[in-house]
Amino acid sequence: MISALLYDDPHTVGPFRILARLGGGGMGTVFLARSADGRTVAVKTLHTRLAADTTLRTRFRLEADAARVIGSEHGAAVVDADPQAPTPWLATEYVLGPPLDVAVEGGGPLPEPAVRALGAALAAGLEQLHRSEVVHRDLKPSNVLVTAQGPRIIDFGIARAFGDEHLTNVGSAMGTPAFMSPEQAAGLEHAAAGDVFALAGVLVFAATGIGPFGGGAPTDLLYRVRYSEPDLGQVPESLRPLLVRCLAKDPAQRPSITELRTALGAVGGVPGDRRGFADLLPDAVLREIARRSDEVWREPPHRLPPPVPAEAPAARPASASGVSRRRLLAVSGGALLGGGLLGGGGWALFGGSGGGGGGGTKKDAVDRPKPPAALWSTALWCPDSGGEVMTVGRNLVMRAGIVLCGINAESGQGTWQANIEETWRSATDGTRVYGLRGYKDAASLAVCEVAQTDGELGKPLVELSAFTGKEQYNQLLCVVDGVAYLVAKAASGERWYLVAADLGTGKERWRSPVDGPPMNGLQAQAAPPALGGTVVGSRVVLCGNPADDSKFLGLSVHDKDTGRQLWRLSVTFAGTAPSRLVTDDRNIYVGAEDLTARRISDGELEWVVGMKGGSGNSGGEERRYSMPVVQDGVVYCTDGDQGLIAVDALSGTMNWQEKGLSGRKSTRDAAPAIGKRYAYCADDKGVRAIDLQAHKAVWTYEATPVVLTADSKGGRLYVRQEKRTIALPLA
Amino acid sequence: MERLRQDDPRRIGDLVTLARLDADGSRGVPELRYLARGADGGHTVLACLPPPGGDPTRWAAEAQQAARLTQPGFWPVGELGGTPAFPWYSSPYRPALPLPAVLAAYGGPLPEPLIRTLGGTLAEALASAHVLGIVHGGVCPAGVLLTACGPLLSCFGATRANPLAESTAAQATRLETGCLAPELAAGGPVDRAGDVYALGAVLAYAATGYTVPEWQEIPVGLRDIVMACRSRDPQGRPEPARVLAELLPGAAYGGLAGGTEPVSLPGRVVEALSRQSAEVLASALPSQGR
Repeated sequence: MISALLYDDPHTVGPFRILARLGGGGMGTVFLARSADGRTVAVKTLHTRLAADTTLRTRFRLEADAARVIGSEHGAAVVDADPQAPTPWLATEYVLGPPLDVAVEGGGPLPEPAVRALGAALAAGLEQLHRSEVVHRDLKPSNVLVTAQGPRIIDFGIARAFGDEHLTNVGSAMGTPAFMSPEQAAGLEHAAAGDVFALAGVLVFAATGIGPFGGGAPTDLLYRVRYSEPDLGQVPESLRPLLVRCLAKDPAQRPSITELRTALGAVGGVPGDRRGFADLLPDAVLREIARRSDEVWREPPHRLPPPVPAEAPAARPASASGVSRRRLLAVSGGALLGGGLLGGGGWALFGGSGGGGGGGTKKDAVDRPKPPAALWSTALWCPDSGGEVMTVGRNLVMRAGIVLCGINAESGQGTWQANIEETWRSATDGTRVYGLRGYKDAASLAVCEVAQTDGELGKPLVELSAFTGKEQYNQLLCVVDGVAYLVAKAASGERWYLVAADLGTGKERWRSPVDGPPMNGLQAQAAPPALGGTVVGSRVVLCGNPADDSKFLGLSVHDKDTGRQLWRLSVTFAGTAPSRLVTDDRNIYVGAEDLTARRISDGELEWVVGMKGGSGNSGGEERRYSMPVVQDGVVYCTDGDQGLIAVDALSGTMNWQEKGLSGRKSTRDAAPAIGKRYAYCADDKGVRAIDLQAHKAVWTYEATPVVLTADSKGGRLYVRQEKRTIALPLA
Repeated sequence: MERLRQDDPRRIGDLVTLARLDADGSRGVPELRYLARGADGGHTVLACLPPPGGDPTRWAAEAQQAARLTQPGFWPVGELGGTPAFPWYSSPYRPALPLPAVLAAYGGPLPEPLIRTLGGTLAEALASAHVLGIVHGGVCPAGVLLTACGPLLSCFGATRANPLAESTAAQATRLETGCLAPELAAGGPVDRAGDVYALGAVLAYAATGYTVPEWQEIPVGLRDIVMACRSRDPQGRPEPARVLAELLPGAAYGGLAGGTEPVSLPGRVVEALSRQSAEVLASALPSQGR
């Protein structure tokens, strides 16, 4: 998996420029890297601190040798290596395919012809290795990459020459218990026959999804490997006799690797047809191979910044490596005003006309545009939270109390309704609609698709028995790229977790402990755990829901692939709490007594607009700034009752503010909506359209808006009022 | 990846060519397409040149148009370069197979369910472009680039920029006759109905290997919609949205074109895509001084 570099990862290794991380372990790190001639490779490094250990360094050299021996047909072609460097490295081709364990996890056990073809190819690879008198010693599913052309054997970390005893302390039982040979488990010599045993174990795994000796604690596994009979109950009948022989406790009883290769290739295999191998693979594995083939060509993720302590954000010396222009614009805690910080460049949306004089105001007075007529208007209650209009394909979905309504975008007519019990139990990915299974009768947590024909919840796409289904406050945050992100309560105990559930495989990907719903003392507050959660690049951003009397907002950011919490902060706010989470690809924006941007990468404050406790007419009850909205690098929100402001998302510099507004009371909980020509704000007189060039209100559509949603693709502005939703043309 | 030929350029602007995208002898490719790389090795692109015999100025104008579009389902045009007489454009490389290469990898005409997904996606891309008043004007088998995440339409504006199929110049790169609606072949302006005609030709090609098959050769399930698209009367051709509905009944409109998740493809096609990706990953710039 391609992931972002850490702040202290090297920029170059040998002649290679480092692009991204592919993996890391106790011994070293694997990077995606590029040579000066544009070749893209995987570079494996040995930690510098381990490089002093001559045994490890020798083993690293042997690994490079073994990788060369196995070659590009059965392994990863070696491009270059320097085992003598202070940080020893090995550069190989970047192999396009998932490890076998990931492939089986995603696509289920492989069908028998695929297992045979896989086995025959792996045996051929090991045969080549053995011919050169090298034993792999650590063959396991995670060391086999499944490509469209066949399997590749990687990671020769403990491979060694025959009889080369002194390299490993045999008693230390390196390797992986589940796929270890009994002789290796006993601390004895693992020779070529040991690789045969391991290969058979890998094939049992490929055919069934579990190793021949099951799982569990390493000590139990070691015992079973040595003394128990393998469990081949799930293995296809025709493979069983062969694999039983390979899994014999006595190495002498096992077939040779050549015999195994011949036996696997003989029946129904596809010898010699490497292109035909792909036809044997399940669809999910093919899609994963295709995804990796495509992903490697995308822009690599940005290097992560150094971690910072959660307390006062300290000024960082400009000499720190990799300081970006953005970083230099960071402000520490206090206020910043004026345009002096923005060092030119194309970031300000309105360039020259931004800050000051507005020409053409006279003309505005002459042919002032009129508010448009509504395209449709339909009776629909707007809930307190989650009232945004969602577009699903070409239709709309809106929450109305405890129901979710499908609305025809053309006519405004309802097409279906689904009972979702609470507004926080549904989400859409723009194509499909999802809901949590009802909490009144469900034992376990389940995400279902809501049929866009009749609103019925389908069969669970994912069902997680580790979490209780009976919890009313379980929350479906979002569904992105086939993964549902939830906040849910464990089946036993009181712990709450942020959970990523794969709707394709129906399995949990990860979980990470987070706060549950807000409490007033011991009383739950009839509110979901989070104001919102969203995926931004490789991260998941979660904003906790503060209790009524709390002045702290809990923000946390997690790695999208592992769930690892990257940072977590409690930030204070004044006035009423924001009502949802607003982010772009860099920052989290919070409008309260001030308007702040906080970096998603490390949680540090990027900029602040407005001074805490400064002017404003909030009186502590209503906050000064409205919910912001960010579009094309500009943050829009209303400042008190003085109208709309446009702030540069990167620097926090004020681009412009609305002129000549008086006597309007902003609706702080409704974020503005942005069109091409106008911004739309909600106030006590209705929906106000502000000309983005002239920075003045040009018309007002009389209404009592609660939520504004702009659909730029469909060219609509949706205005939700308490009991009615209206569609206006978006300009 | 197809090896460069003697007469291929070694450099295009500051890009160094690595390989051809289209196989030798491919017919009906309305642009010359190369895999190329910045001389510093940093970025790899698909670089396109106007076809020999075409009008480079017209071609460049079309490319400029296309560079302003970010239509879902259209292959993006990134950077424009060159001179009016020798224009080119490039876009970031991602593994992609022209439709003829997809058939070659699969070993013949594609199975009907796959044609339905591919055709439905292309129809959706055209539908969303037509709504905005954008006409593609270059739909043809070689102009369809299949990526891991579905097909994209490239060769925008090819009909306007290429010599008509009848002219004898530029045999290798002239437009595929079967993709040119009768009214266009007669010199009429490029319009939406022409795109639909060409889409029909693409569907026919995917199903039979020819853009102008006998109707009996087309699988029964696809016959009506392909024949409707290929109606001689522009008025008689369906809207792209209708083509989508016929190919994928019940599909949610807006969910297909420009997707970012891999779609289901046959093993051999995935093999060809991943092999291309691996070959470009492993390819190096030719050493200096040659």
